[in-house]
Amino acid sequence: MLKKEQNELVTQTGPGTPMGDLFRCSWQPILLSEELPENDCPPVRVKVLSERLVAFRDSEGKLGLIDEFCAHRGVSLWFGRNEECGLRCPYHGWKFDTTGQCVEVPSEPAESGYANKIKLKSYPLIEKGGVLWTYMGAPERQPAEPEWEFCNVPLNQSFTTKRLQENNWLQAMEGGIDSSHVSFLHRGDLNNDPLFKGAAGNKYNLADSKPVFEVVEAPGGLFIGARRNAENGSYYWRITPWVMPSFTMVPPRGDHPIHGHFWVPIDDENCTAWSFDYHPVRPLSDAERNAMKDGKGIHVKYVPGTYRPLANKDNDYLMNREAQKAGRTFSGVEGIGMQDASLQESMGPICDRTKENLVGTDNGIIMARHRLMRAAKALREKGVLPPGLTAEDQKVRSAAVILPPDQHYKDAAREALIAKPGVKQASV
Amino acid sequence: MLLSESARVTTAQESRFRIHYPNSKPRAVKVIALDPASAALIDEVAKLNWNGAAFFKSLSFESTPGQTVKGWLNDIAGHTSDLASEVAQADCVVVIAGAGEDAQSVPLIAELCNEHHKTLVALIVPQDGADDHSVDVSLKALRPYAKMLVIAHGRDYVEAMLAALRA
Ligand code: FES
Ligand SMILES: [Fe+2]
Repeated sequence: MLKKEQNELVTQTGPGTPMGDLFRCSWQPILLSEELPENDCPPVRVKVLSERLVAFRDSEGKLGLIDEFCAHRGVSLWFGRNEECGLRCPYHGWKFDTTGQCVEVPSEPAESGYANKIKLKSYPLIEKGGVLWTYMGAPERQPAEPEWEFCNVPLNQSFTTKRLQENNWLQAMEGGIDSSHVSFLHRGDLNNDPLFKGAAGNKYNLADSKPVFEVVEAPGGLFIGARRNAENGSYYWRITPWVMPSFTMVPPRGDHPIHGHFWVPIDDENCTAWSFDYHPVRPLSDAERNAMKDGKGIHVKYVPGTYRPLANKDNDYLMNREAQKAGRTFSGVEGIGMQDASLQESMGPICDRTKENLVGTDNGIIMARHRLMRAAKALREKGVLPPGLTAEDQKVRSAAVILPPDQHYKDAAREALIAKPGVKQASV
Repeated sequence: MLLSESARVTTAQESRFRIHYPNSKPRAVKVIALDPASAALIDEVAKLNWNGAAFFKSLSFESTPGQTVKGWLNDIAGHTSDLASEVAQADCVVVIAGAGEDAQSVPLIAELCNEHHKTLVALIVPQDGADDHSVDVSLKALRPYAKMLVIAHGRDYVEAMLAALRA
């Protein structure tokens, strides 16, 4: 459990909050490239870390992420005309470039220089791996571009989606490092989901629903190892990395693509769950790509034209009590992604952690919260930058390995936990 | 449009109606230091306010005539109690080890935990400057016995973990 003040500290990420400052130290994924498909395409509203912004791609392909509201009288620039290297407010024609600089105030003589003195707040927006990333912190502390493996492999080796999740980022992220729920909540899917089934390791998962855990600190965050018995006294390890503040990966299964998530706060009561799949050494097959598009694995089906899942709180997540009773799904909700999201949303917009009763096996979650609070405090009080900003911290991978009983996974699987171009994932 | 039940109940407004009755009883957490470095750490941790957590600084063993080994625990006030009955009363047993320190007593503690169906959590808290090898020694000694094994640097984590467990 957390005290009320601690819970507020870790869940609030708006401007000026300690956790908000921590998120503002690193690049955050905010849009898929497909959302700004071409020059002068329609602008897109973005809300991230409780700030309302608008993103656009100008006539020359430059990306802009600026204050959503026109500096004149506050019209949303989502209605803007994206034309001739700028976004023009449709109300009185003020025009802004990708840096937020006002370049035209039609009512004033151009020579007056009035426009020069008007500038909307803007943040850098870059494109990498089919994803648009922003950095919302102090310009002098802007880190190098993100080096996560999923956005560095060729595009035909990866598939990334995002979905709206209607609750605070932390309860969503905690699901990503909570290896003990897999044997329950996702039990039905190990054998059925096309992106999970058939792996040799699945049998250990299903045979042993009481894994034993080892949690160790990593430079960027944590490694959480879950161990189950394998043949001849050896152990089947599933190792989940967490990199601060909100990157998690799922240990691989067989030769299936590896996957993971980013949990990015929209505001304190909503987040974007980013789900990526990639294979380090080969293109995804058509079958894999189609399954992902069809909402299999960690992806979901959508309400057409939106990033809101088709099964959502408005339709009770298409709850199927019959499937639950028959054991086809453990919770009655279809699909791994929505099984997690439905339960996390059910906690309420911000989970009340003062009422929790944690057990010893929740140490991964306890440690992650502790490190977040410690890092937020160090940043606030001493200006110490948080872990997770360097390429080395970001080049991590999840792994599934079989090891002799006396070996520490962090040493024995050291290489397996590092993302290396052209090297296949360690998987069982 | 009529809202579904899930949509209606997951608002911040409705979250306020979560009932305010306790949903658990205090649990007995027994914290055992396995070596002198951990004992010093426990001394400090014990000074905070806890919900009945019991802290033991050392343990000793005695072979009884029937060849069974009996363990004795010494708490921070210097009182001695019987390891077996402490484990029997525990809801969770936490052992704390410095890196590379002698963890010989763990098998016996683990055996008692097994017998009484209690979860054993082991924290390795490396001393400043401890090397990887000594951490490895501790891991090997503790791995076969702990349900959850954590390597945590610094006393603050021990405190955070115990607070999280409502110890
Ligand atoms: S069993 Fe874990 S939240 Fe209910
Ligand atoms: Fe899950």
